[in-house]
Amino acid sequence: MLVFDHVSKCFGDLRAVDDLSFELEAGEVFGLLGPNGAGKTTAINMAVGLLEPDEGVVRFADEAFDRDPRDAENRRSLGLAPQSIALYEQISGADNLRFFGRLHGLRGSDLEERVAACLDFADLTDVGKKVVSKYSGGMQRRLNLAVAIIHDPELVLLDEPTVGVDPQSRNAIFERVEQLRDGGKQVVYTTHYMEEAQRLCDRVAILDRGRLMALDTVPALIEAHGGPGNLVVRTGDGESRHETTDPLGTLAELQARQAVDHFQYLPPDLETVFLNLTGRALRD
Amino acid sequence: MNKIVAMAAKDIHILFRDKLGFFFTIFFPLMMAIFFGAMFAGLSRGPASIPIVLVDADRTAGSARFVERLETAGGLAIERIPGDQALEQVRRGQTAVLVTLRPGFGAALDNPFVATPEVEMSVDPTQFAAAGMVRGVLLEAAGAELQAFMGDPSRMSATNEQNRRLIEQVTPPSTARDDLLTVLDQIPRIPALIDEAGLGSVTAGATGGFGPPLEIEQTQVQAQRRGPTNSYATSFAQAMLWTLIGGSVSFSMSIAIERSRGTLMRLLVAPITARQLLAAKGLACLGATLFTSSALITLGITVFDVTPTSYPLLALALLCGSICFCGIMMVLSVIGKTEQAAAGVGWGIALPFTMLGGGMVPLFLMPEWMQTLGNISPMKWTLMAYEGAIWRGFTLSEMLLPCAVLVAIGVVAFTLGARNLRWETG
Repeated sequence: MLVFDHVSKCFGDLRAVDDLSFELEAGEVFGLLGPNGAGKTTAINMAVGLLEPDEGVVRFADEAFDRDPRDAENRRSLGLAPQSIALYEQISGADNLRFFGRLHGLRGSDLEERVAACLDFADLTDVGKKVVSKYSGGMQRRLNLAVAIIHDPELVLLDEPTVGVDPQSRNAIFERVEQLRDGGKQVVYTTHYMEEAQRLCDRVAILDRGRLMALDTVPALIEAHGGPGNLVVRTGDGESRHETTDPLGTLAELQARQAVDHFQYLPPDLETVFLNLTGRALRD
Repeated sequence: MNKIVAMAAKDIHILFRDKLGFFFTIFFPLMMAIFFGAMFAGLSRGPASIPIVLVDADRTAGSARFVERLETAGGLAIERIPGDQALEQVRRGQTAVLVTLRPGFGAALDNPFVATPEVEMSVDPTQFAAAGMVRGVLLEAAGAELQAFMGDPSRMSATNEQNRRLIEQVTPPSTARDDLLTVLDQIPRIPALIDEAGLGSVTAGATGGFGPPLEIEQTQVQAQRRGPTNSYATSFAQAMLWTLIGGSVSFSMSIAIERSRGTLMRLLVAPITARQLLAAKGLACLGATLFTSSALITLGITVFDVTPTSYPLLALALLCGSICFCGIMMVLSVIGKTEQAAAGVGWGIALPFTMLGGGMVPLFLMPEWMQTLGNISPMKWTLMAYEGAIWRGFTLSEMLLPCAVLVAIGVVAFTLGARNLRWETG
């Protein structure tokens, strides 16, 4: 499993990742959530061996092995879907899969089986022979994901896989990630979309300015850092918002004072957690 | 108007922020200015000395006098070596022209009434411009010889006497023979008659109405050894060079393209080493340039009747040329981080080197230091190897030098490029 042990990485004066520690658990979708510049992509790049930590250690370890991310054996066990669509546009989707499959040592019928499976996974079987430049943005995103799993890796790293896609394609990607989890894969999923992390991730690490602000399951994070929910009520005087940890009690109090025409309770969610932990200042 | 100015100012601002744009706007034209300036400065100091080899097959006082005149006239750097070696030198591309003064040259020079001096010019087919200039210098020297003859009454009289004796020996006497003797009597009076008629300025520099002062037979070196000349043999060698240049520039962009498209990241994450990745790039470039240059010469052979003098040596030249340009491709990849930069830098470097290598401007027009500098141009050695195998008739030992230089450039450039290649993925 992937282990970050007090890992730091600097680019000049910028400390992109600062003393980051976590361990992936078997079969989980692990979210790396953070605003722009939080250090998510730097962490991913260290996980796959593209960058070396300045301090600390990134390794893949369990009872049987302890490997460096650059280890060739290790690279066979992980798949990366980069943030940008990383495909050869001039060749077909199937040929992209074939090419990357060969790089991972697949040959012959094994390769063809995996190509077919991945096209099916990405719902691209019918257009597998078309050149990628003819694909829609959503299709390219799905293929980008499929290429990451052509060699059936144990760990799949998805770096903001839904950037720039329409809601239908996004939903399709969510389903694929859930499929991976159901198939027993470990998934590291970076995003700055709260609803994605809330829907998909078993545990979420919230990063800000390279530091790990919190790490837990989504309910536990909300419990710990969500704060009170919001009760929104509409009366004859208009709409008002009330922070509360006891929505029913607060509603009763308000009704006692004035007739409430309409109310809605907004419980704390991951976005609340995120804003509470990272603040509301804009990040550039 | 303000909006137009604002947009124009923005474009200028962006241009100067773009290092590549700045390079092509300022530095590339500056390089061209320096290149042509240096070249024309050399020319303005006097005619460039064209290296020729000269064989005096006549070996008379007249031919010696003519050679001396050529040497003092300037414009030619004359080397005198035995005939076979001289021809080999032109064939190898080391000298543009071989001038041979044929037997009887001196006698004809001293007796222009009877014969025209004959010269043979064996020309490197890629050096026609140089050959044209050499022809001009030869004619000028021969014209000067004739003028000197015409202006020297004692030489004219001596020659006349000699001719008179020859004519008088013809028997039996005839009207034609008598007419010839009458004409001979009038010849010494020609300068005086010109003066009397006031035609001195008009006839100055003229050859006196004897026709061209020199008979020049021009041949191409391969024609002497290999049968009919085919101009496609030279043009296809040059076209193959351009294929290599285009191929290396295109491939230099491929790493930048992989970087910008994100596929480099995927490749680096795959279980392959950086060396394997570089080897694959090199192999692809080698394969593509070998294929395109081979396809081109195959077309030349099958359609345009180009007949290589040695197929094995041609294969060797193709391989060495491709190895060289694979190395160059790797260096260009290092310099150009983006696709546009790689393409721009590629052509920005390739064009001056091609010029220095004589691919665009004849080398003899360049000052000596530029010609020496041209030795570092891989284009020069590639052309030499291609031409050596296609029409110069190089032997294996003659082919070794250009091929060794090409392989050395390729290996050094590839190593330098591979060492300095930045693997950043974004």
